[in-house]
Amino acid sequence: MAAEIKNPFQGTGGRRIVERGIERSLLISGTVAVIVVFFIILYLFRDAYPAFRNIGLGKILTGMKWNPAGEPPSYGAYPLIVGTVLVTLGAMAFSIPLGIGSAIFISEISPSRLKTGFKFLTELLSGIPSVVYGFFGLVIMTNWLRIAFDQPTGESWLAGSILLGIMALPTIISVSEDAISSVPTDYKEASLAVGATRWQTIRRVVVPSALSGITAAIILGMGRAIGETMAVMMVTGNAAILPEPIMNVFSPIRTITGTLGIEMGEVAAGSSHYHALFALAVILFIIVLLVNSSALFILMKLSERFRPSGKKSLFQIPKIVAPLLKKVLWGAVALLVVYYAYVRGGTRGGLEAVVLLAFSLALLTFLARKSSPRQGQKIVFSAISGSMAVVMVLLGVILYYIVVKGIPAISWDFLTQPPRDLGRAGGIFPAIMGTLYLIGGAMLIAIPPGVGAGIYLSEYAREGKITRLIRAGIDNLNGTPSIVFGLFGFAFLVLYLDLGISLLAGMITLGFMVLPTIVRTTEEAVKSVPQSMREASLAVGATKWQTIRRVVVPPAAPGVITGVILSVGRAAGETAPIIFTAVVFSQRFLPHSPMEPVMALPYHLFVLTTSVPDSLHNAYGTALVLLIVVLMIYAAATVIRLRYRRTVRR
Amino acid sequence: MTKKNAALLAAVGLIMIIGAYTGGLIGNGRTAEIQTLSVRGSTTVLPIVQLAAEKYMDLHANVNIQISGGGSSVGAKSAGEGTVDIGMASRELKETERSEYPTLNPIAIARDGIALIVHPSSSVSTLTVEEVKGIYDGTYTSWSELGGEDVRIVVVGRDSASGTREFFWEYIMKKEDFVQGMLEKNSNGAVKQTISQTPGAIGYVGLGYIDSTVKALNIRVGNQEVEPTTENVKSGLYPISRSLYILVDGEPEGLARDFIDFILSDEGQSIVEEEGFVPV
Repeated sequence: MAAEIKNPFQGTGGRRIVERGIERSLLISGTVAVIVVFFIILYLFRDAYPAFRNIGLGKILTGMKWNPAGEPPSYGAYPLIVGTVLVTLGAMAFSIPLGIGSAIFISEISPSRLKTGFKFLTELLSGIPSVVYGFFGLVIMTNWLRIAFDQPTGESWLAGSILLGIMALPTIISVSEDAISSVPTDYKEASLAVGATRWQTIRRVVVPSALSGITAAIILGMGRAIGETMAVMMVTGNAAILPEPIMNVFSPIRTITGTLGIEMGEVAAGSSHYHALFALAVILFIIVLLVNSSALFILMKLSERFRPSGKKSLFQIPKIVAPLLKKVLWGAVALLVVYYAYVRGGTRGGLEAVVLLAFSLALLTFLARKSSPRQGQKIVFSAISGSMAVVMVLLGVILYYIVVKGIPAISWDFLTQPPRDLGRAGGIFPAIMGTLYLIGGAMLIAIPPGVGAGIYLSEYAREGKITRLIRAGIDNLNGTPSIVFGLFGFAFLVLYLDLGISLLAGMITLGFMVLPTIVRTTEEAVKSVPQSMREASLAVGATKWQTIRRVVVPPAAPGVITGVILSVGRAAGETAPIIFTAVVFSQRFLPHSPMEPVMALPYHLFVLTTSVPDSLHNAYGTALVLLIVVLMIYAAATVIRLRYRRTVRR
Repeated sequence: MTKKNAALLAAVGLIMIIGAYTGGLIGNGRTAEIQTLSVRGSTTVLPIVQLAAEKYMDLHANVNIQISGGGSSVGAKSAGEGTVDIGMASRELKETERSEYPTLNPIAIARDGIALIVHPSSSVSTLTVEEVKGIYDGTYTSWSELGGEDVRIVVVGRDSASGTREFFWEYIMKKEDFVQGMLEKNSNGAVKQTISQTPGAIGYVGLGYIDSTVKALNIRVGNQEVEPTTENVKSGLYPISRSLYILVDGEPEGLARDFIDFILSDEGQSIVEEEGFVPV
């Protein structure tokens, strides 16, 4: 890379103007990104305010009945909030052990040759669009659950939790894997040198050192689960009730996001129902904000910890907290078990299941304790490998169903013809093109301010309160549920700016949605360019902008492009942001102006699945095409990143 | 190396996007004089309008009819505010809608019976309107109370923006609340999908959605068991029925007029019948 640095010529007056102009324009693009961030937040609150004023915050938070169509309507969000919390907890109960087990497997146990493969497969799981998960859940999984547990319906809390658990897995695995891998090798070597087994090293040295990273992974996964809309809405049954008894995982349940997804597109703007939905969005936003902020806080502490200059005191915090946390956790588990056994005692299977679970856990602990360290290691390692196997099986099952059942639907006509007979026959051409239009436009809108803001934050902005505030705002928007963007797009672009349901409104909404990701990945990529290269360039007389353009941006480009491509993949698979802003059920032609609505693959799949009977054949085909489109985008990103890593190592 | 590859990939991506755009633009350039008609609203009315639109577009190559769902409330609001050309509603206009959009003009295009459907394995085949209400307000919780097996009743209904729900709520429930555990589905198709997979479930859908995957219940009127068929809706024997409307602001003109005339023509009404609705 260094060879490409040409000695640039001096700094004349004209140069200085150019320099200043570029800094200004980067500042402007940064400002645009930030304004967008805060504007979205402001607008949400603005439209939620009438609900808080007229209904009252207390009544919304504690009201037991959500019935906006009743006479009089009631807007009690308590069952929805509880539903959101329960579904998320259920998802975590299932994805935390699996995710951490898989992360340990990838970084510590698997042969190093296979590591990249496992990582790629895990990322594949995150590339599956949420509507495809929902489709799989509704068509296949709920039926399995109903038969396996002999329940009246499989559409339940459990179904939602399983699906969300799977969707949170990639986040948990990759973030905790990063944390585990970044534990200095000295630690491990020291432990192994004094005769500890590999498992003892992992348990006593590696995992404790990576604990805050793993915690952050869990919290980020949780944020992902809380904000998920389409998959949850398709499998939870959407009855706004509290489960009876509260631990009945087979009860239908309704989440905040599900409510927004179902009701937002069908509500009269300006009505009390409309404002109540915005109030729900604000509640959701705040929940996710709290969850993500705590993850960010922990990650921040983590990065300080492994820095050589890290303050000593930070080492102490986990040491004091960890045992206390352990006690509290065990206490909570014990309480939960007792409570569950007590409440469900009378009902079939409840008590037995708890006893069995407790017994097998105790047995496992006992075996691990009693047996020699080596045998113990064997037992634990097989459990850890087992969790990785479960994740792979989950991925395999989902892909198998979509691919095997999707392939028969795919033909040349399917790809090039408009739909007929409500989508039961004909093809999905307008939907494919619509999706391409949407992501193309979104990128045009998001890349210039996003990349500009990223460069500005990294190269020009002085570290200070304002920069930190900007970064915090962008980070929080990054974790904001996509349905919240959908709501904003609907209220501001479609209604207030009167763009109508149109391609343009969808592009802007998607663009805003991916903007924070682009800003942050650009910033990270640019920052990772060694300071010495900048200094070398400046030392030979290059101006700041010349340095950025010739020295900083080229090595950072692959990182930036990866970030951009990942955003494209995310935008292509999203349904919630476009459902109220850009899409129609069907049209025969492609839009000939940005003011017209489009069809889109994720929405088409959603409609076929939920609204058109006897369209399963084409629904599978659509799911497969969507999957292929998104996975191709992700694969491109992975290839670029792998190449990039190789060159850096060289 | 890396830089070149990355640049190449970016370039390919860009070309693809640009290609897609210009492709679309050229394609559109050829048919620049396309006339567009936007339709939005009730998912019950949607199949009729969709199929009529497909036929109509086959006859008129330069017409693009865009159809989307959303429910009757959205149909009324969109047509009333002029964000779409035509709205669809599966109920009559509410008082509030009539006062807000005084020029909104509902045109009946079909009649629809609401059928109660259960899983094909159910042994119950007839209910009275009162029993239906009892199921939906939570009075009955097991099929054994209605002469069936001892299976818990899974009550399935529509979401709050549905015209079908609105009608059901006024006509069957007499404006009383639904049982709290009711599963809420956002379309007729979703209701049917759930019922067909769930023994013990009951739901309500338009006649057009009945097929072999579900069992439609007869309604007892006096001593007579009335099957939910188009004939019985037409003759007025089947008690749970309503009109389906499309909504236009004022008198329809031009393309909208022509399309509505097409739906009301013999050809359009035969679509109505094919989809299991009752012609007007």
